[in-house]
Amino acid sequence: MSLRVLNPNAEVLNKSAALHMNINAAKGLQDVLKSNLGPKGTIKMLVGGAGDIKLTKDGNTLLKEMQIQNPTAIMIARTAVAQDDTSGDGTTSTVIFIGELMKQSERYIDEGMHPRVLVDGFEIAKRATLQFLEKFKTPIVVGDEPDKEILKMVARTTLRTKLYEALADQLTDIVVNAVLCIRKPEEAIDLFMVEIMHMRHKFDIDTRLVEGLVLDHGSRHPDMKRRAENCYILTSNVSLEYDKSEINAGFFYSNAEQREAMVAAERRQVDERVKKIIELKNKVCAGNDKNFVVINQKGIDPPSLDLLAREGIIALRRAKRRNMERLVLACGGEAINSVENLTPDCLGWAGLVYEHVLGEEKYTFVENVKNPHSCTILIKGPNDHTIAQIKDAVRDGLRAVKNTIEDESVVMGAGSFEVAARQYLINEVKKTVQGRAQLGVEAFADALLVVPKTLAENSGLDTQDVLIALKGAHDRGNIVGLNQHTGEPIDPQIEGIFDNYSVKRQIINSGPVIASQLLLVDEVIRAGRNMRKPT
Amino acid sequence: MRELVTVQVGEFANFVGSHFWNFQDELIGLAVDPFGDAVFQNQHLNMDVLYRSGETQQGVPTYTPRLVSVGFEGGLGSVSARGTLYNDDADTPSDIVTWRGNVATHHTEPRKKNLFLQSLSEEDQENLVNGKNSGREEIEDKDIVECLERDVTFWTDFSKVHYHPQSLYQFNGSWVDAREFDNYGIGKESFSWSLQGEEIDERLRFFVEECDHIQGFQFIVDDSGGFSAIAGDFLESIADEYSNTPVLLFRVQRPSSNMLRENKRQIVSRDLHDAVSFARLSSFCQLCVPVGLPSLSRSKATTHLCIDDQKPYHCSAVYAAALHSIGLPLRMEAHGPTTDSCYVSGAVHVNDMVQMLAGQGRQNMVTILDVAMPAPSLSGKHLGQSLLGSLQPLTPEVNDDAEDLLTLESMTVHGVFGSEGERASVSKLKDQISAAYEGETVRPMLCHLSAAQCPLPVPLPFPSIFGNLVGQHGQLLATPIPGASSRGSLDVHSIPMAARLRSSNAVLPFLERRLRNLLRHGTQGSSAAPLLRSWGFGREELEDMGESLSKMVLALNPHSLSSSDSD
Ligand SMILES: Nc1ncnc2c1ncn2[C@@H]1O[C@H](COP(=O)(O)OP(=O)(O)OP(=O)(O)O)[C@@H](O)[C@H]1O
Ligand SMILES: [Mg+2]
Repeated sequence: MSLRVLNPNAEVLNKSAALHMNINAAKGLQDVLKSNLGPKGTIKMLVGGAGDIKLTKDGNTLLKEMQIQNPTAIMIARTAVAQDDTSGDGTTSTVIFIGELMKQSERYIDEGMHPRVLVDGFEIAKRATLQFLEKFKTPIVVGDEPDKEILKMVARTTLRTKLYEALADQLTDIVVNAVLCIRKPEEAIDLFMVEIMHMRHKFDIDTRLVEGLVLDHGSRHPDMKRRAENCYILTSNVSLEYDKSEINAGFFYSNAEQREAMVAAERRQVDERVKKIIELKNKVCAGNDKNFVVINQKGIDPPSLDLLAREGIIALRRAKRRNMERLVLACGGEAINSVENLTPDCLGWAGLVYEHVLGEEKYTFVENVKNPHSCTILIKGPNDHTIAQIKDAVRDGLRAVKNTIEDESVVMGAGSFEVAARQYLINEVKKTVQGRAQLGVEAFADALLVVPKTLAENSGLDTQDVLIALKGAHDRGNIVGLNQHTGEPIDPQIEGIFDNYSVKRQIINSGPVIASQLLLVDEVIRAGRNMRKPT
Repeated sequence: MRELVTVQVGEFANFVGSHFWNFQDELIGLAVDPFGDAVFQNQHLNMDVLYRSGETQQGVPTYTPRLVSVGFEGGLGSVSARGTLYNDDADTPSDIVTWRGNVATHHTEPRKKNLFLQSLSEEDQENLVNGKNSGREEIEDKDIVECLERDVTFWTDFSKVHYHPQSLYQFNGSWVDAREFDNYGIGKESFSWSLQGEEIDERLRFFVEECDHIQGFQFIVDDSGGFSAIAGDFLESIADEYSNTPVLLFRVQRPSSNMLRENKRQIVSRDLHDAVSFARLSSFCQLCVPVGLPSLSRSKATTHLCIDDQKPYHCSAVYAAALHSIGLPLRMEAHGPTTDSCYVSGAVHVNDMVQMLAGQGRQNMVTILDVAMPAPSLSGKHLGQSLLGSLQPLTPEVNDDAEDLLTLESMTVHGVFGSEGERASVSKLKDQISAAYEGETVRPMLCHLSAAQCPLPVPLPFPSIFGNLVGQHGQLLATPIPGASSRGSLDVHSIPMAARLRSSNAVLPFLERRLRNLLRHGTQGSSAAPLLRSWGFGREELEDMGESLSKMVLALNPHSLSSSDSD
């Protein structure tokens, strides 16, 4: 895809031309993204030059796929992507809001108004809107047991903007349970402790939550069991491979025997380490039917695998670094870096460990764990682009739940906040403002309406009718959003349509900042690469 | 058998890699070709070192390189990043199973397959219908060769290798102009390892996990621009995760095309790039080999070749051939510690090679790559001497007249002809070359020699770069072949090769220039300081880099003390 809003080669332009170039770029980007918005938005299928397919309904992903050359558009895109990096959502809204701020400004500027005045109005309106958001938001009590219903509603709202209803609803419980699983009171939620794993499966589209871990590799020894119950889990980062002195050993031995002797000595050292593990296994498994599984971050070579297999131990090598942490959180025990002083306390526990084979791909499931603080979301899909899209949606869902818990509040959606904030600005704030900055407040207020307007448009409704109905219902004292089927006002609370507070907040914050920069332009920004990513 | 895992980062690295894997693919094919040259049937090279065996979900066996390649999205031309091996035909891409609402499809103009790639996919089709010729129009080899000579845009345009779906990582350089991707800073800015690196790490892990006993990484990096920063982070991550596994780094660069047109700022930026990039990349490997001459076509290394410096397709072919030769000892089938076979001799592992060249004496880890392509035969008065004389550097900024008695070398000679025009046996090769060394006035302190009988095969998509003194089997002719001035794969089927890694103080100019530039521009108050800051380098880091570069220089030239301060 290529988006050329304006000739990017134009080097120097006068102020007014530069301003209009910025306005056009912002509108252009808005045009591309607006059909994305909401549960009735359009999904984009991008087919590359070699037939590769990408599927997305996410503003963030779409922006990254576009070849944007216009520096203004790049600046907006970076703001939106930064929005996603920090809060995980709201990229589409950010882009269309910035576009609308510019569009509203254009009217006034064409009438001869100085951009500075508008920018002043933006600033006032922004602060007022943020204050209004504090009143408007719905606080929730998190405590030890967060209200699961609220979490589900937020997750469902987000997921339904990315996946069709039935699929979204299936994922809703999964993402909520995943976050609750890894959450520890008094600690920040680390979403990395939710592993997202996928399998390509021709006829299957299914997602499930595994309380425990799924690893994308299996044991490398033909005699090791493929399934075991009641397993002790040893999580280790110890080289069980004859490599110790690889980098430092001298190459020149005076004779072949000396070399052989060196090799034998090093081999013995590796074997010693393996034996220490076997000793621990014998200590805990003697006389019972329990099993022993080693999951190692470093390599395990065939002789070591042999020794372990002979003792009935299942061993996996080269586990990914992050899984060391996850395993301990899922199974208990601790990750060991040396086999000295091994004790049964180091060991974790899993009720079931088994291998699943798909062609050359192997998966190891570590399940039925006791008190997991790490889990895996397993996605099955028929092809890469479907899997990728579901993965994106899952990430959005997880972020939405995490945000809700951390924000301790949510915001009613379906355009209800934007309508309410707009009326508040027009009816209450505007009159308190001196002079022409009022018009900046008005422009800002009208720009907010781009959200309900676009939601209506994407639902195939008449935007004018919808806005009139919404404003009317609001002025009669209701909080109302848009029913995406009929266009009639609905109560988002009753419908369970909630957005994240932090996401909304950031949109309102960053939108006017960028718009102001673009309005106060002195000359055209020539090269996008000179701009650092906004943080 | 001990496995090697290959990494290619950046466009030119992928060009080199593309030729490299074409050679391997050709060797695999020739080994089982009943009508082929017997020398290819007895290679005694273990391809499993470089390749992995796998199978598709349908149970079809596959054999693909252990490779992770990093490139720009869109840099694969008409080839899909997933390759074709693992695709089941049941893929119906137009089915969207996740969304019931509207769909908008955006097609990028499909890339047309060139003649060569067309012929490959036709071959694949025919294999599917049991080898029966489907009666389609045959594409003539001659036309393929001509088409590639005319136009190669992507490294995939001339690649005949099937890659594993995990191999080709596409870096989505959101909104980066590929033409501006020409320095360390831009790479650092557009790729955040902490956010995007994980997928690359994971792909590498996929290949490493399979290895029973990995001997090392062979890492090729395109050091002309932003990819150096990505490679630096990648190397750091490898050093961290696989701390006991040695890395052999080939830092490649294509001939510089627009040096003359550069303004002062661009020159400073390029000098700084070369300095910081080298300092960082070399700090995460055990052996570093700078490869790539400013003008390959005019160098002594290409006396018998006709290179167009503007064509990465040409230049990368020469570098790939040298890399292939240097790497042969890493996969020779060892026959016990003392008994060499008559086909190969001098097997080593990456670690042995590192120890030999960098682990003793001056501990210099930056080595020169020399090549003789094609290598002359052992005939003539001073048997073997001309072979030594024909080895010429592919490493830039090398002192040609250096006389260094402490030189350490690792040399590979393969497929060379004897005095009677027969392929010289391995033992004869070794004897002759040792004798030749005896005759030299300045001898290296140590030279490890590896030899093989099997020459470098020239695959069909190899460029037409041989001069008219090169015969069908790469022998050097006394009289030029009349007619065409350059010869390609249709005329030349294989060539004898010699290549050498040389740890010598001849590399000093290369090191000194980087040190000088770092000290000059990198110090506080220099006009380039803001540039370096914008690339994300702090003062301390620059000081560390300066220190490690001066250490390298000092090791090779103890008298250089503070000479850099004098200017
Ligand atoms: N059932 C619904 N009815 C009406 N509006 C809804 C409904 N569900 C969500 N919305 C609204 O859709 C908007 C979010 O849409 P969407 O998630 O597509 O865009 P975004 O969050 O701005 O960007 P991103 O592409 O990053 O997700 C919010 O304003 C939300 O209130
Ligand atoms: Mg969203």
